[in-house]
Amino acid sequence: MSQEKSEKLRSFEQQALPLMPQLYGAALRWTRNPSDAEDLVQETFSKAFVAWAKFEQGTNLKAWLFRIMTNTHINLYNKRNKDQAKTALDDLEDWQIGKGESITSISTRSAEAEAMDNLPSGVIKEALDQIPEEFRMVVYYAVVEGLPYAEIADVMGTPVGTVMSRLHRGKKLLKTLLSDYASQEGYRVEAGKE
Amino acid sequence: MKHLDCEEVKQSVHEYLHSELHEPELDSVTAHLANCDSCEQHYDIEIVFNQVIQRSCDEAPTQELAERVMQRLREIQDHD
Repeated sequence: MSQEKSEKLRSFEQQALPLMPQLYGAALRWTRNPSDAEDLVQETFSKAFVAWAKFEQGTNLKAWLFRIMTNTHINLYNKRNKDQAKTALDDLEDWQIGKGESITSISTRSAEAEAMDNLPSGVIKEALDQIPEEFRMVVYYAVVEGLPYAEIADVMGTPVGTVMSRLHRGKKLLKTLLSDYASQEGYRVEAGKE
Repeated sequence: MKHLDCEEVKQSVHEYLHSELHEPELDSVTAHLANCDSCEQHYDIEIVFNQVIQRSCDEAPTQELAERVMQRLREIQDHD
């Protein structure tokens, strides 16, 4: 193994590999199951390693890896044409998405927050899995990763306006699903707990 | 400062919470929130919602995956 080669692996190992937890989290949202998520992480790191010389040191490595993951996922699973990235949901009017109604039938806001806080993680994940992936990923990158809109736009290959509207709509869709769950489960918080 | 109604302030909740709101809108929203319980509670619910989503996405990769990836990188390097 030449000196230069081992240096490349060493720098990649030091800089990129510590981001595996973040990449795995995103991969799980893309694929919705651990086995495919692991494949996607491995494939993303492989592609990133091959392209490592092209990474501009000092720029955002995590965003660079997320962008490679987007393309890898599309190639591996979707075979989707990038032009089709706009989904039918993007074309709906706001009122058609639903109001993102409150998850309880009780009107007090503190009860609403408490009911939401009590939702099991598994239920939240299931709801996330049910919304279209372009919406799911924007919600994930914004809420869990805390990426700025401009970086999400870059990672997803869409304009910033699309990021904004998908975040709004994605969260509305999630709330609607969770409120359906809450009413099915007879989720109630004591009224008058304000 | 531009006066915003509740509907407009509620519309801005995501931009506000994700630090995507800038002057002068930021001032207008902050001023409105200071004087409006209904909007403030609307924002609080969104904060809780974000926390709940963050909490639910807490999966960690296995050590085997880390080893698999390293193994793959070495293979790529050897064939370089």
